[in-house]
Amino acid sequence: MPTRFLTLFAGIALPLLAGAQGTNTLTVYTHPSFAAEWGPGPGVKEAFEKRCDCTLDYVVLDSGGDILQRLRLEGNSTDADVVLGLDTGTMETARQTGLLAPHGISLESLDLPLDWQDSLFVPYDWGYFAFVYDTEQLPNPPRSLEELVNAPEELQIIIQDPRTSTPGLGLLLWMKAVYGDQAGEKWQALSDNILTTTKSWSDGYFSLFMNGEAPMILSYSTSPAYHMAIDKTDRYQAAEFAEGHYLQVEVAALVEPSEQKTLAREFLQFILTADFQRHIPLKNVMYPAIALGDELPGVFDRLIEPDKTLFIDPATVAEKRKSWLDEWLNAMIP
Amino acid sequence: MRHIPLVSNRAPLSHPGWQIGPGLVIAGSLLALTIAGVAALLWQAQLPEISGLWQNRYLNNVIRFTVWQATLSTVLSLVLGLFIALALVRQPRFPGRSLLLRMMELSLALPTIVAVSGLVGVFGRNGWLTAVMEHWTTVRWNLYGLNGIVLAHVFFNAPLAGRILLQALESVPAPRRRVASQLGLKGWWLWRTLDWPAVRQVLPGIAALVFTLCFTSFAIVMTLGGGPASTTLEVAIYQSLRFDFDFGRAALLAIVQLLICGAIWLLMVRRGLTANLSPERRFSETILRPDSLGTARVRDATLLLCFTLFLLLPLITVLFRGLPGLASVAVDGGNPLADLADATLRSFAIALPAGAFSVLSALLVLALASRGGTNLSRLSSVATAAPLMVPPIVLGTGLFLLLRPALGHTFQGLALVALINGLMALPFVTQLLKGPLTSLDDATTRQANQLGLLGWYRWRWLHWPRLKRPLALAMAYGTGLSLGDFGVIALFGTPGQPTVPVLLYQQLGSYRMELAAGTALWLVALLLLVFAAFNLPGYRGKQNKHQRDTLKTLAEARHA
Repeated sequence: MPTRFLTLFAGIALPLLAGAQGTNTLTVYTHPSFAAEWGPGPGVKEAFEKRCDCTLDYVVLDSGGDILQRLRLEGNSTDADVVLGLDTGTMETARQTGLLAPHGISLESLDLPLDWQDSLFVPYDWGYFAFVYDTEQLPNPPRSLEELVNAPEELQIIIQDPRTSTPGLGLLLWMKAVYGDQAGEKWQALSDNILTTTKSWSDGYFSLFMNGEAPMILSYSTSPAYHMAIDKTDRYQAAEFAEGHYLQVEVAALVEPSEQKTLAREFLQFILTADFQRHIPLKNVMYPAIALGDELPGVFDRLIEPDKTLFIDPATVAEKRKSWLDEWLNAMIP
Repeated sequence: MRHIPLVSNRAPLSHPGWQIGPGLVIAGSLLALTIAGVAALLWQAQLPEISGLWQNRYLNNVIRFTVWQATLSTVLSLVLGLFIALALVRQPRFPGRSLLLRMMELSLALPTIVAVSGLVGVFGRNGWLTAVMEHWTTVRWNLYGLNGIVLAHVFFNAPLAGRILLQALESVPAPRRRVASQLGLKGWWLWRTLDWPAVRQVLPGIAALVFTLCFTSFAIVMTLGGGPASTTLEVAIYQSLRFDFDFGRAALLAIVQLLICGAIWLLMVRRGLTANLSPERRFSETILRPDSLGTARVRDATLLLCFTLFLLLPLITVLFRGLPGLASVAVDGGNPLADLADATLRSFAIALPAGAFSVLSALLVLALASRGGTNLSRLSSVATAAPLMVPPIVLGTGLFLLLRPALGHTFQGLALVALINGLMALPFVTQLLKGPLTSLDDATTRQANQLGLLGWYRWRWLHWPRLKRPLALAMAYGTGLSLGDFGVIALFGTPGQPTVPVLLYQQLGSYRMELAAGTALWLVALLLLVFAAFNLPGYRGKQNKHQRDTLKTLAEARHA
């Protein structure tokens, strides 16, 4: 239970990780799933250090939200040269801090489902939110969001809370993109199918979904790739919904107060090369931001390919998020 | 002839300052830290309209729900804990007693995600017990909702309450027990004369501790709560700070939380720490309680068996889930094995100093409580618990704002983690040591004073013999809590150097579910090892003491 001391005092000691401030050190603020040993972090570090004659240091913060929070708190005295791990849900708030600088690099090689022209943010991977289901428990999953919303009570799903989790917020936006003003009613209709709303993706996936508590969980369309490629099982698949799927793009950005802007830009450029991107598919379990050709693992061809990409402009999201959350709360609390 | 200076015959560390000073520093800095953390947020933003709090339907619901679930969880945990402790004290030879005790100690230190995973495996929709229940009875059980929240809170806290209460009950002086046994006291009278006076001392503190833990519960409430209708204040604070960047509102909500929990603590410690009036000699294991035989024995055995299963079944689920992963790591060796070994060493390098630090701090704070009069003793009780009452995210952010300009980058990572883990364990360790340390009766104290048994000597000859076992247990709790800690270390450690819980979360984040299950099992095994190891010296001591008791009884008889 004391593990609840999630962020206690953390702030004070973190800067030590950025301690070694040599002339050729690039400090990147990121989150654990990127920097972990199984994540893309170590491979990326090795590849970049080979070509830059520098040291790449990660400062690992608990989530994308924490990266942003830290940046705001540190302001102009920040140690970060690059932030990596913000996403389409947090990037607008990050833009408003005024602490990010234009990347100034060409984004032509990008291979995203939508046209990306942003002067601050460089995408490094992307994916669709999707419901992953257990084929043994649920041979015939719903084929649309509408079918899910109207499904009989027997179909129970696990979702994450939009107040604390990225996929949770993703579903909120997904519902909004599909249903607009009717989202509240649809949430009410969906509520009897929701077994529970967990704090984070890990809580739901490990404790509940993998224990067989519910046949379906809110996750990413790329999740089955890991199960197929590494666990060697086809048991877990993503359900393709007719209305389309909501897009998440993860981004990196240059920090304005950085004294290593040249090196930082070099790193941002490096993000859009195969040496960086080949670590993404199976280590971050997302789509790479550029076309990898033959290097894209075969299992990625077996993932669902939504006909329609749903996306709400990040500026709108930043503006409306609070009222949409209130709408959700009002619908869900009887 | 040279003049030889008079050797001072004062005992080392006997100056009153030594008994109050360090404790005062620790208690004071804990309070200051807490207040500063919240104040720093307010300094960044203005306090919003307080009336807005009472008019907001959502926040109203949140506060009401938080108080309700915490009260329910606390009452159930205490009642169950008390029944278990009484059964254990009545049945000192219950087979598997020491295993049950280890599990009771272990449950608190389990990382939430491991415990929840185990509980779900037993009580969930596909759980063993649910399946059995639905097959044999018509009961339809649903884990998700208030049920699950309370169940999980009882799983964590009833063993804690039971363990501390058992220790209090076991410290009932032998003469008193003998008299009760000779008078054949049973039922209400036995409770009134023997058990209640012992329980009364520690119960308010445990109640406040458990209430605070349940009140500030976060991930459990969300995972098992079923939906946003089950939201604690902690969630609302997290949301204000992390998503809305609304420092003012976060600070306001944190103050509400601090006030509610703080009021409970003040209320509870007002009557705690009463002096023990009866002379206490050695604990005696040999006096049979009149209520420990016959039907009582069957009843107690059933209760203890059910409780053992309640704690054991989730752990067995963790075992079955983790075995394939752990076995493959052990067989294949290579990187995963090296990682696990490194993480284990690193965990112990943090946990052992953290445990030692928490025990030392607790002793100093308790010394303050016993020497410093009522106000100081109240202050010290509340101070140790203060860091539990403020959401860590608030404290972390506030302290970051305050301290970063002054401290810059000069931090020693792991040492700081150990220090903070030690502080986190303080409220638990204090509850464990409070009883034994303050149970010295007036006659003994007076005699010790007359003999000039002060300072270090008093500690060595008066306290140490009776504190050995409680200290070992406290050390086990301090170490165990630090070993199972995810939060603090997650934010300090570098990804290349994870502790065991961090390794677990990293594996989860990268879909390595089987490996993660193996790591979870390994963590449970390590915790079991820690609690077993620290209880070992106490066990041996018990055997010897038994012999000495027999001798002493003979000697007493001769005098009589």
